[in-house]
Order: sequence, then C-alpha cells, then structure tokens
Amino acid sequence: MNNKTVIISCAGMGTRLGAGIPKALIDIDGEPLIIHTLKMLDKIEDVRVVVGYQAEKVIEVVKKYRDDVLFVYNHNYQQNGTGASVSLAKRYSKKFILTIDGDLLIHPDDMKEILASEQEFVGVCEPSTDDPVLVGVKDGKVTNFYEKNGPYEWTGITMLEAKKITPTDGHVLKLVEQVLPMDFKIIREKEIDTPNDYKNAIIWVQNNYNS
Amino acid sequence: MDTIFLFDLDSTVTKQEILPTIAKKIGKQNEMRELTEKTMMGILPFQDSFTSRVKLLSQIPVSEVADLVSDIEVNEEIVEFLKENRESSFIVTSNLDVWIEKLMHKIGMDGRYYCSKAKVEDDRIVKIENILEKESVQSELTSRAKIVAIGDGSNDFDMIRKADIGISFGGVRDIAPSLIDVSDYSIYNETKLRKFLTAIKNGEYQNEQ
Ligand SMILES: [Mg+2]
Repeated sequence: MNNKTVIISCAGMGTRLGAGIPKALIDIDGEPLIIHTLKMLDKIEDVRVVVGYQAEKVIEVVKKYRDDVLFVYNHNYQQNGTGASVSLAKRYSKKFILTIDGDLLIHPDDMKEILASEQEFVGVCEPSTDDPVLVGVKDGKVTNFYEKNGPYEWTGITMLEAKKITPTDGHVLKLVEQVLPMDFKIIREKEIDTPNDYKNAIIWVQNNYNS
Repeated sequence: MDTIFLFDLDSTVTKQEILPTIAKKIGKQNEMRELTEKTMMGILPFQDSFTSRVKLLSQIPVSEVADLVSDIEVNEEIVEFLKENRESSFIVTSNLDVWIEKLMHKIGMDGRYYCSKAKVEDDRIVKIENILEKESVQSELTSRAKIVAIGDGSNDFDMIRKADIGISFGGVRDIAPSLIDVSDYSIYNETKLRKFLTAIKNGEYQNEQ
C-alpha cells in the first residue's frame, strides 16, 4: 500500500455549485467532502493535496484532520487544467500515483479495493452525468476517451505509474491517454458538479452509500 | 545534478523564535514581540527591526546569549536530516554569528551556515558588521546545483521565490501569508518534511517504497 502516492486535485474553482467555496470543502452530511475522502486514506503515508483557489481555506480544513499532507500549489489554476495539478504533484512520488478529483465522493468499499490494487487502471462508472466523457473499450481494456457510444463514463480516478507519464498543462485525460490501452475498474462514486449532484451525494452518504 | 538544501533557522530548525526566547529571559519580551511581529508581517523593514532587536539584547554578555541559544529546542527530525545531508545543506539566518555558533556546533553544522556578523569586545557586541540578506546566498552558490529552500517567515520570501523548489514550513507556527504565493509546497509536519526532502534528494522515480 505504501508504494502509492495519492493525489487529490482541489485547485479548481468549482463555481457551478454557486457555494463560493472550493468544491472539496462543501459540506456533505456534516463534514467537508475532502474529509470523507481523507478518512478513507488513513493508511496511506503519502497523501498530496493540490491547492489553488482559496488555497489557505483548503489547507486549514485538511491539516486539522491530518497535518502530514504534502500541499502542492498550482498557482496557475485559472489557466491550466487538472493535468497540470497532477503533473506538479507527481514529482518525487512513489511508484504509483492514484489521482482523485477533489469533487468526487467514492464508495468506501471501492476505495479499499483501489488502494489494494498493484497495477495501473482507469476508474470508470455507468454513464450517469449530463455531459459524460465516455470511454472506448476493446478486449477488456480502455482504448480511448470521448468515444461517442462508449459503455462507461470516465470518473476522474486513475492509477498510473509515475515514471510513464509526461507532464501536461491540459486536462488530466492528456496524462492518461499516454498510457492507453489500460485495464479499468468500475467504481461507485458521485461527482458533485450541480446542485442536484450535491443533493444526491448527501442522500447517498446518509443511506450508507446505498443508492 | 547536485541538490543543495537551504534552511531558515528560526521556527524552521528551532521550535521557537530565538531572539524572543532570549528577550523573555531578561524581561524584554514585550518590546521584542512587538518588533518581531511587525517584521514577520512585513510592516517593519527587516534591517531596522533586526538592529533594534540586537540592541535590546546587547546588554547581555555574548557568551551568555550563545549559551541560551544553544539550549533552544530544535526539531529533531530536521536536525537528523541535516546530519545525514551535512555536505549538501546550509542554515541561512540573519541571526548573528557570535550568538549562534554554539548552536550550530551542537546540531553538527559547524561551517555550514550563512548569517549576519557582529564585532565583539569584552564579551559585548559593539557593532553589527553585516546583516545577511538571505536571497544573496543563492547567487554565491554554484549555479549548477538544484536549490531547495525551506522557511516560514516573510524574510524567507526571496530565498523561497528564487529556489528551484521552495517549501514553506508551518510545523512550528503559521506560515507568513506572503510565502503562499511563491511556495511550490507547504508542509506542516516535520516528519513529512524530512521524508519529502529525502525523496527530493533521491530523485525522481527512486522513491518506490
Ligand atoms: Mg523563520
């Protein structure tokens, strides 16, 4: 388990929810979203949180839960994408990097399985959002993104070998595309983008992650 | 490529601000606190504040200050890192040579520090001969090395900004707000700092375990 660096990307503004705070800090059933994620990562030694928009607020919340997190600054978060955040955070990492978007809530059982994994994968789910990035699948592996009628949706979760990827300024998919085709894992998660997503995520947690 | 680590002293290597701790011993803590806070906030120019702070303590014999300084508590994990990486590390502090020599010896950093300099007669400071500007250290070092700078206060701003890798450390007290804009990383735990610095030293893709 300790051959993994976990990177949570929280640099973006996430204003679509209109809450005026970074999405990682929105309250889900009494606790900030990122705390739900950090609680699932207690056994991971190398946790890195990429900060940008309202960096100090994110740091304040995270370090109250655990102070041994590496905070990575993405100062240009208004111009660049999550790929830039991951590129910055992957420096001097362990063998594998597990990337998680800061606006994701992952099923705790699936997170356990993810953390136990010893190989690269792309995290996918059944298509569920309004504007999904669908993945193309061939011979049991993900071959490409933006496949029009792809069977699964990309989630924002991937495990990659750090040394195989070249830094990018763009979307995180630009990093993953470098190493396709790759195995995939179906993951139960909620991405929190809209007020409706937010409501559903809260219900999900309150129902013990039964949907 | 070689890597060189530059460490701020006060509240980075030490667990307290050095001059205020000494001021407390002679009942001058209020005057000192005022000067220190104003400096850390960036309101009072550093050189002026430093001169005033030295004056405040110059009534105590130099040898006595040096003893008090050497008794100040340090972050053990950071000192361990310094010991393991003595040949690639420097302490960079505006504190006075005559006050910190003993502490530098104690943490194994004899000859591995940049600091301000004072002239001493009869165990008293008679003159500050030079106040170190931290950012000047980088230009003195061989340009081929990768520079990693670690600090917590606004007087570390340029040192961190100019470094190849700038780390603000909040394990002792709050990081000066100005540092956020120029840091590549912030770390709030000394064990984590030691681990990450070791990972940098080992280099990319050498930290598989
Ligand atoms: Mg300091």
